[in-house]
Amino acid sequence: MTAVTLTRTPAVAGPAPRRRRARAAAARVGGGLAVLVPIVFLSTFITYSLGALSNSNPAATILGQDAATPAAVAKLDRTLGLDHPLIVQYWHWLTQAVQGNLGQSWFTQIPVAQSIAQRLPVDLSIASLAVVLAVLIGGTAGMVAAVRRGGWFDRGVTLACSAVSTLPAFVVGIILVVLFAVTVHLLPANGYVGPATSIPQWLKYIILPSLALSLQVAADIARQLRTSLVSVLERNYIVGAKVRGLPYRRVLVRHALRNAAGPALVVLGNDFPQMLAGAVAAEAVFSLPGLGQLLLESAQTRDIPVVQGLLLVISTFVIVVNLIVNTTLNWLYRTDDGLLA
Amino acid sequence: MKRQETGSAAGRPRGHSVLASPSARIAVGILAVIAFLTIFGAMLAPQNPLAINAGQLFKGPSAQHLLGTDYLGRDVLSRLMAGTRLSVLTALEAVGIGLVLGTVPGIATVFLGRWFDFAANRVADALMTLPSIFFAVAVTAALGNGLVQAMVPVGILLAPGFFRVTRAATLEHARAQYVEAATLLGASKAHIIRVHVLRKVLPNIAVTTASMTAAALLAVSFLTFLGIGVQPPAPTWGGILSSDLAYLSQAPWAPFIPGLLIAVTVGALNALADAFRDRGSAGTLVLLEPVTEPEGVVDEQRSPAVA
Repeated sequence: MTAVTLTRTPAVAGPAPRRRRARAAAARVGGGLAVLVPIVFLSTFITYSLGALSNSNPAATILGQDAATPAAVAKLDRTLGLDHPLIVQYWHWLTQAVQGNLGQSWFTQIPVAQSIAQRLPVDLSIASLAVVLAVLIGGTAGMVAAVRRGGWFDRGVTLACSAVSTLPAFVVGIILVVLFAVTVHLLPANGYVGPATSIPQWLKYIILPSLALSLQVAADIARQLRTSLVSVLERNYIVGAKVRGLPYRRVLVRHALRNAAGPALVVLGNDFPQMLAGAVAAEAVFSLPGLGQLLLESAQTRDIPVVQGLLLVISTFVIVVNLIVNTTLNWLYRTDDGLLA
Repeated sequence: MKRQETGSAAGRPRGHSVLASPSARIAVGILAVIAFLTIFGAMLAPQNPLAINAGQLFKGPSAQHLLGTDYLGRDVLSRLMAGTRLSVLTALEAVGIGLVLGTVPGIATVFLGRWFDFAANRVADALMTLPSIFFAVAVTAALGNGLVQAMVPVGILLAPGFFRVTRAATLEHARAQYVEAATLLGASKAHIIRVHVLRKVLPNIAVTTASMTAAALLAVSFLTFLGIGVQPPAPTWGGILSSDLAYLSQAPWAPFIPGLLIAVTVGALNALADAFRDRGSAGTLVLLEPVTEPEGVVDEQRSPAVA
């Protein structure tokens, strides 16, 4: 097994096995979709049922106190389709949602899809930068810790990881504000500028929230990478590569890291879907105009369509990203190398 | 995961106490203090947590105010002590809901056949796609703004975690030879669950409960930080953090106090979970030795969320 790993890395493969693998991958995606369909229906149904749970009277809310005569309420109920059974309403809502129509706010009449589209870039910016930071920080820390195993850096990383894992993102965010915004005035404590206006300004505003969001994931990655890298570095093929006189850096990156990255990637894949939701925490601390703020505002006014739309978007995001991550991981580690079998 | 743990525990003496490691002892000590504060904190607070003192704003720690005062001159120590009860009790509320909704079907699914198993797993998967804080805030929009209402959905979303752990552990034990032997001897399902399964699944449930309590506590802190479910003068851990954040320029050190309190409590719960895990794997290893490991279970556990 070791010899195989040495001579043929997973990326090198002939055309015939590649076709076979493509078919296997397609089958796996198909199987995944079969499980996915009931999940999508259940989770969207839960989301939609929130409105029914709320026993609020949408027609009366929309009309306002003066105009809400029983006749007017009944008429609006009919136009909104609220006189149908819940399951019919749900189906109508879902088919509309698939076409990009999430209804409109009860109070501002602004289409829900429009307000979500307006806010989504904020959270996507934070979440994607957080992923980059998590990989950079966690990857570097884990790799150096594994190479310098038992040294002060290694112990420092272990300590920092356990400290970070007890700190929720919003507390980390506050600490960062105190350190970088209040004490040294290096970065802004709140606010947001879109990347279209100015890329450096945009980075300046999202770097602290992203950092707050990334640390926990970075700690997870560092821990996983350290553990698997330590065990890989002891394998025969690493010793063999060193004996053949390959430069250490090359052995570390091409031979060891490539085989040790699996568990860390799984951790990242598992954490990633939750990051968009976690961006809410960062938003709250840095008062960014994102989805979280929209959710809090609409929850306060009990603007049910907006709340339903937000939940739908977030859970769809989680489902889709999960599917992509799982498929990618399966594809990356399709050979049985004993790490991710 | 599972395989590694059992492997690492192989050299360890079996069945030692949870309190064997020093970190577990410290954790239990911290949690005892928190439990004490939950019950008596509001009574023992040195000062009235709501008393406003205009002459004493943003004071640092002193003999009179051990942890300083806030933006209204209120004693921070008293507010933290008085706020412990709501934070801890609502966290326990969520864990209780998750425990019942997760473990009962988790054990039942093994004995109720494939269809129930498939349905229960899909429900768990669906719940896992809903982000807990988002969902909790959304439910307060539907049910009204209250911390008790907000923690019900958090509890429901903790259930899949309990469900998966319990199901995997139950599967492992339900396929053991001694269960087969008991069935052949004519034992009823209820007897098998009670005597052969429940007792052995308990360590796994204990581990999950400890780490889920940590998660629930974080959720409570964050929800109260967002201002969900509490009216302003009432003290909560997250609420104190949130008001500290608004006055950072006057008192930049202030958020570290509630932040540290949350971190220490969560850290203690995580350490306790680790202690349970060490003890549990040491114990079950010996019990499981003659049994052929069901490979499918381990793999299923390992493949993440939606798969």
